[in-house]
Amino acid sequence: MPDRVSVRVPDPGSAVRAAVSEDGTTSRERFLQRAVVAGGALVAGGVIIGGLPRLAASAQSPEQDVEIFNFALLLEYTQAAFYAETVERAELTGELFEFAKVVATHERAHVDYLLEALGAEARAEPVTDFGNATTDPDAFGAAAVTLEDVAVAAYNGQAANLTKGALQAAATIISVDARHAAWVRSIIGEPPAADAVDAPLTAEEATAQLDETGFLQEERR
Amino acid sequence: MRRPRTRRFLLSATVATVAAGASLAALAATGGRGAPSVSLGATGAPGQGLAPPADPAFRVQQPRPLQASRFESTWAAVRQATPVRAGPRRAAPLVGRVEPRTPEGTTNIVLALDRAEDARGSLWIRVRIPALPNNTTGWVPRSTLGGYGVVSTRLVVDLSDRRLTLLRRGKAIFRAAVGVGTEQFPTPTGDFYVRNKLTRYRNAFYGPLAFGTSARSETLTDWPDGGFVGIHGTNQPALIPGQVSHGCIRLRNEAILRLARLLPIGTPLRIRA
Amino acid sequence: MTLRDFTDLPLDDLDRDGALRQAADELERTSRAGFLATVAGGVATAAALVRSPAAAAALAKSDVAILNYALTLEYLQDAFYTEAERKGALEGPAAELAQVVGAVERAHVKALRDVLGKQAVKRPFFDFRGVTEDPAPFTRTAVAFEDLGTAAYKGQAHRIKSPEVLAAAVGIHSVEARHAAWIRYIAGAPPAAEPFDAAKSVNETLQLVRATRFIVVRPRTRSRRRPRYTG
Repeated sequence: MPDRVSVRVPDPGSAVRAAVSEDGTTSRERFLQRAVVAGGALVAGGVIIGGLPRLAASAQSPEQDVEIFNFALLLEYTQAAFYAETVERAELTGELFEFAKVVATHERAHVDYLLEALGAEARAEPVTDFGNATTDPDAFGAAAVTLEDVAVAAYNGQAANLTKGALQAAATIISVDARHAAWVRSIIGEPPAADAVDAPLTAEEATAQLDETGFLQEERR
Repeated sequence: MRRPRTRRFLLSATVATVAAGASLAALAATGGRGAPSVSLGATGAPGQGLAPPADPAFRVQQPRPLQASRFESTWAAVRQATPVRAGPRRAAPLVGRVEPRTPEGTTNIVLALDRAEDARGSLWIRVRIPALPNNTTGWVPRSTLGGYGVVSTRLVVDLSDRRLTLLRRGKAIFRAAVGVGTEQFPTPTGDFYVRNKLTRYRNAFYGPLAFGTSARSETLTDWPDGGFVGIHGTNQPALIPGQVSHGCIRLRNEAILRLARLLPIGTPLRIRA
Repeated sequence: MTLRDFTDLPLDDLDRDGALRQAADELERTSRAGFLATVAGGVATAAALVRSPAAAAALAKSDVAILNYALTLEYLQDAFYTEAERKGALEGPAAELAQVVGAVERAHVKALRDVLGKQAVKRPFFDFRGVTEDPAPFTRTAVAFEDLGTAAYKGQAHRIKSPEVLAAAVGIHSVEARHAAWIRYIAGAPPAAEPFDAAKSVNETLQLVRATRFIVVRPRTRSRRRPRYTG
């Protein structure tokens, strides 16, 4: 099964720019025209699947920022829901609960920021089910570490793909999630910062790690 | 900080993307014609196909703990003329003084050996000082010293063998025959350190370069500039090894040049009988 | 927040840190000229994975300046934690942090020196004036350093031209943020006080570093005077 590729052909420059030029053709039509020229196989629905090589680094563009920020929004939505539910259920106590309360406000702020940035482009909020991770201290600690680490690694993985303005904004969030990760590790007695460098994740890897948590249910459309 | 400024990432192409994403999901769910059956997972299209990260321009190696400190020795500059005391408190008796500069015009340094706090919580450092009697140590306030330098070398001079050895992290990396003080003007024994280096002077008697130490002649007490023992070259190489000097440690010139590439200032020096 | 809040020591006008001045000058120069360098030579390409000293020549001048700026801050942190560990005046969690974070900062220094090769700024000389030997000032200063390191990397990220350099830098930036939260936790300060972390500019950063007076002129222990040893 061939690699999944973006439904937009990652062509730095002309194809994308042409796709959004104002000349009467809708951008979507022009975009699909280019896709055919590039040799992809077109199937029902105008979606290209398979066969196209992925470039090592894609050009930055506002459209790509939207995609990346929408992906970030998925992660932030998940985090925000996780901490909000923890606070609401109020079964944790002590330091962990204090942590959850503070971080809930941060993650909500991250979500709000991304929603405002994305406007109509914002993805839907995912349906989540955290099981006992919002009430049991051990499960909570493990989940918090995972969610914060995945977010940091996913953002880091996309840093070079963001436009410079989007990168500046994202950077103000990345370090806060990293602080959260070290903070909760300190509380639960794990080494707060064991690595010299935070390795990036591809979006697929981040998605897979998120899937593994089992927290995300079938996506709402 | 306040939240970052929002930018509107609005371009018509993105509408196509979102729509196409939904189509993709629909195709998969219904096993749409022409689409390979794929498992989307709970998260579906978002994030799929985002470009991978760039390969980092440099890798960071595994962090390593500090190497064993038993080979390390610390020196510090003397920032101001300071009384040196027998204990870490202002009322302790004087054992000497240190000055900020040496007679050679370099910054004076001392070896930092120990630390203590006085009753007010001020930090004092026990230091080895270039004073008579030789081997004097005493206490000075931390504030009178500059930043610490660390070396992992030490120098050993054996007077009876007439040999000098430089060790780094406990291993000998340099050896040379030396000329040492005569019986009338002996090289003192004990613990000292190398405190400066002179070069490009024109005086063949001392060879191409000279190191100053904290050791002082116990017989030449009237010597100008304090009678400090140096480690230097010579214009009489045939005398080495031997008891030939007024206390200084003389090396043949090619040896002192080699030593100079290996010997950092602040290296502790032990002179054995 | 200024470092003044975190040390008991007064500010001093004297700028004795040549290392900082060099880093600042380079950044100032290359922020204007940087784009010319890349346009003219195409020096930073996606294919140029910079691992060898020769390849460091392929870095854009402004990227070199940014990496040297990062290296200066890493030198400072390395020296601070390494000295603290050597002095052995810390106990418990702070001592453990100094050990772990010191090793990481030493690794950062090595990595940056390796990628910069001959273009790396020299290691400065430091005088920590007892701060590494006293638990309370150590902790306050460590908080300031880690917050500062995070903000400094953040301030430069968007100016980095090479995607590969950026990829490396962001991986360090988030680690510095973990350090910041860790030392704040030890200090009893909020590990993450706000939802968004602010960047710091080069000027702000170097001003704060200068204010500590930790970077000093290396003591001059050489001279050309004639020896007056006993001979």
